[in-house]
Amino acid sequence: METLTHDVVIVGAGIAGLRAAIAAAEASRRIDVAVISKLYPVRSHSVCAQGGTAAVLRDEDSYDLHAWDTVKGSDFLADQDIVEFFVKQTPKSIITLEHWGCPWSRTDDGKINQRPFGGHSFPRACFAADMTGFHEMHTLYGKATAYNNITFYDEWFVTSLILEDNVAIGLTALELKAGEMYAFRAKSIIMATGGYARIYEFTTFSHTSTGDGMAIAYQAGVPLKDMEFVQFHPTGLIPSGILITGGARGEGGHLINAKGERFMKDYAPEKMELAPRDIISRAETTEIQEGRGIEGPYGSYIALDLRHLGDEKINERLPLIRDVAIKLGGVDPVKELVPIRPAAHYSMGGVHANIKTETPVQGLYAAGECSCLNVHGANRLGTNSTSDCLVFGAVAGEEAAKHAFSSSLRKLPQERILAEEGRVFDGILGREGDERVPAIRDAMRCIMSENAWIFRKGDELNKAVKEIRTLKERFKNIRVEDKSRSFNTGLVAALQLDFTLDLAEVTIAGALARTESRGAHSRLDHPKRDDENWLKHTLAYYTREGPRLEYTPVAITRWSPATRVY
Amino acid sequence: MNSQTETTVEFRTHRFDPQQKKPYVSVYTVPVRKGMTILDALVYVKDNLDETLSFRHSCRMGQCGSCGVMVNGTPMLACYTQVLHLESDVLVVEPLSNMPIIKDLIVDVQPFFETYNKIKSFLVKAGDESKTPNEFVQMPADLKKYWDLTLCTKCSICYSICPAAIDEVFPGPSTLAANYRFISDSRDEGSDERVKAMTGNIWPCTSCNSCTLSCPKEVDSSSSIVDERSLIIETGSIPKSVMDVLTSAFKYHNPIAMRPNKRMEWAKDLGVRTFPTVAQADILYFVCCLTAYDLRNQEIARSMASLFNRLGADFATLGKEEWCCGDHILRLGEKGLFETLAEHNISMFEKSDVERIVTLSPHCYNTFRNDKPYSDVGPQVQHYTQFVAEAIEQSKLKLHNAVRKRVTYHDPCFLGKRNEIYDAPRQILESINGLELVEMKRARENSFCCGGGAGRIWTEDATPEKRSCVNRVREALELEVEVMATACPFCVTTLEDATKVLDVEDRIIVMDILELLEESM
Repeated sequence: METLTHDVVIVGAGIAGLRAAIAAAEASRRIDVAVISKLYPVRSHSVCAQGGTAAVLRDEDSYDLHAWDTVKGSDFLADQDIVEFFVKQTPKSIITLEHWGCPWSRTDDGKINQRPFGGHSFPRACFAADMTGFHEMHTLYGKATAYNNITFYDEWFVTSLILEDNVAIGLTALELKAGEMYAFRAKSIIMATGGYARIYEFTTFSHTSTGDGMAIAYQAGVPLKDMEFVQFHPTGLIPSGILITGGARGEGGHLINAKGERFMKDYAPEKMELAPRDIISRAETTEIQEGRGIEGPYGSYIALDLRHLGDEKINERLPLIRDVAIKLGGVDPVKELVPIRPAAHYSMGGVHANIKTETPVQGLYAAGECSCLNVHGANRLGTNSTSDCLVFGAVAGEEAAKHAFSSSLRKLPQERILAEEGRVFDGILGREGDERVPAIRDAMRCIMSENAWIFRKGDELNKAVKEIRTLKERFKNIRVEDKSRSFNTGLVAALQLDFTLDLAEVTIAGALARTESRGAHSRLDHPKRDDENWLKHTLAYYTREGPRLEYTPVAITRWSPATRVY
Repeated sequence: MNSQTETTVEFRTHRFDPQQKKPYVSVYTVPVRKGMTILDALVYVKDNLDETLSFRHSCRMGQCGSCGVMVNGTPMLACYTQVLHLESDVLVVEPLSNMPIIKDLIVDVQPFFETYNKIKSFLVKAGDESKTPNEFVQMPADLKKYWDLTLCTKCSICYSICPAAIDEVFPGPSTLAANYRFISDSRDEGSDERVKAMTGNIWPCTSCNSCTLSCPKEVDSSSSIVDERSLIIETGSIPKSVMDVLTSAFKYHNPIAMRPNKRMEWAKDLGVRTFPTVAQADILYFVCCLTAYDLRNQEIARSMASLFNRLGADFATLGKEEWCCGDHILRLGEKGLFETLAEHNISMFEKSDVERIVTLSPHCYNTFRNDKPYSDVGPQVQHYTQFVAEAIEQSKLKLHNAVRKRVTYHDPCFLGKRNEIYDAPRQILESINGLELVEMKRARENSFCCGGGAGRIWTEDATPEKRSCVNRVREALELEVEVMATACPFCVTTLEDATKVLDVEDRIIVMDILELLEESM
């Protein structure tokens, strides 16, 4: 197997990955950076981020206020030292993209415009209409591809991470076009592969959001943190789950039940539709469960009413969601109600990493949704994720470059590479089992949607973890129909299924253990937040028998946990 | 998820086995529910019918650009198109064109992405402004100037159907649009270098408009290219072949350096009347420079004149006062010269006081209809195919002779894509006795440009393999037709040239519809 060598290897080419690549390349021209992605970079899920990117840009706003909003939104599970660092970095992120050409929407006097967003007490969401992530991605891609010291490996699928003595020394990747396996040697490796919401059926996420980086790190022995905290977005378009931005509510959209009421008055009377996502998604679910949902061909739903905004505002501020609603939802928001319900959206959890994006493994970094630093705690505020990707993508790039300067390459253990080749080609591709990948994948999604959704119960989670383990057993007997090497999408689907089964298991295991309700994690059998026992992060370590859970304290600097009311 | 099946649709999916290097077709019957997209159907096939079917997909909401495919000959994002909206029981799904196929519906998009290396996709600043911690000021109106061009997802659909992109010298529509996006950005100061970078490679575009029409995000790449050419022309650094066309149009009022007093030579002995010799006529027959001067095309000009006579139509031309309509000149980017030509022609239209203009060329037709200042003034404009189809429908024209030929029709872009005239030419052909009309794979909205537009007919310098007319004639040859008919002097010229290049003049002849008509009368 051929081995390729770079100083810094970044896995994933979304906002965090590309921002990291630029930061590493800018650290020094002598740093040789590689970006490996299973997609062409602009196909990454980051292009689907819509509403905005939070940043403190104006005198009327303050870092303290942004930090407080974030901590309160997190239900006090965020590490406050990291939040304080994070909010101070956000303005620079926005201005940097501005300098590179991001087409930010503007105020009448030509400044970067900002809109209100759920859980933020100041309009600090910088936006580019309702395609913020899309424009950030294309800006970053335009910049990143101009560096001579960045090499792109587009449509290369990373299969495993190689560690030695708790040091990250390389990885293996499948070049999809020809179907050959390669090894990469690197001094620093950054995981930036995004989230894994595709473990659910009804999700805002791309088909390709399968949490590869999280699973690869986990399988290599790196702990995952706070994986039980999955965010459900209040406005997933029916029937597909496609995201309808929170910016629609930021611009003044209402949520309506079957009685025509703005029901949020009963759940968050002050913030109404601009309450944090966990609260609105629970409110919608309660409305539906108590019979106040609107009946439709795909079950009960809630209506998003934008009609009063008028076509001019909708066309200027929300053109994409209008187009999507018409083309894929069959309704025109200018004239009709948009049918929505909560959809799996974001993972607060991820690869355990600190304020410098360092994981417990030397030379291994994690950034963006793939990581858990922890900025978002038990519930992320809308528009804080793209900020997170920009801020900590840059930190990861800088740190990885710094580490590369002070470390040397190691020789990759040949037996480890051969074993991986065997696992992928002989094991998964060559296996002549009788289980099918789509069937196991659908079963997993069904288990997750029924038992690890917005409201959870101990007995259901208990059942679910067993069912997932059964699926893992069944996976050992799969058959990939396509036996060829070139662009084998069946093989990729099988590798992704292997990853997501582990991630589903960790999600449930964390949720089962956490006998409290906090942020996005709601246990009907433990409905209260329990700071005495659970003001701590979950760490999940891979073992053959399933995840081993440990816990680590939350960093509290200035804000003691208080009752969370909106 | 609940779903109600409305109908079943047959998906004839074109596939490619990379090991055997063999194309083949798989047919799948898919139960279709309301709201189901082409992508949903492909995923259904992969999950339930054939796991080996290979295609790209990701965001499924039109933003990531992964899933471009051809469906019934039209390129589209699979995720952004509902099956039921296509209103067809059979859908032929193929990979995008103009890029090598890797496997099934997956094409190699690497060459497409590499075209972006020819431009700078970030703001260029002359000074150190980028180091300041401040935002730039950009008024909403300035943002609006380039906003629409920022919506490109790099899906490669425009590149896949671009006749100019066969030649890799040409950066491709979306890349040129991206270049113009930065030129139009009030924050950018790199305009000079951006313009300079395009000086040598922007000219293969034929303004066929396929890119603009097929863009899932309605990015108008075609117009961006014209605007960039205008900027290049301002710098004066343009290829000699382009310069010759512009100089000639300026000096002689035709792009082919012919003397104005020879403009009516085609009509020698035909007794065609001209303004202002005649004070009044019902129809102004606008001949077009190419038909007036080019020996091959003069036959077409004469056919039209005799057709007018046969119909007893009261017509006249502008004689040597007919100046080039300027369509090619405008699309080469010389907006000032275009206006000069247009102003002269408009003043002639006004003097002649006609109610109707009939043009031979789709290019004259298009510019009279759609480009200011022509579009603001003047009489009704018809392309001759409309005029003739009308006459046939009103039984004014009797076609007595059978023309027993197998014929295919090539849609001129400036008639079809730019003006949606697809039916009139076909109605004429279908009313000719004995004539068997067969369609090429790429027809009507999906027609493939002959390569003659935007002055390309005179500036073409590519090798045969990279010429779109050669590709187009090959497509017609597959149908084993005797005649490749069209309704545009530029298409006649380029396609006929391609038959010579391919040395197939004994197998296929290129004819204008008027010439077939003449045989039938």
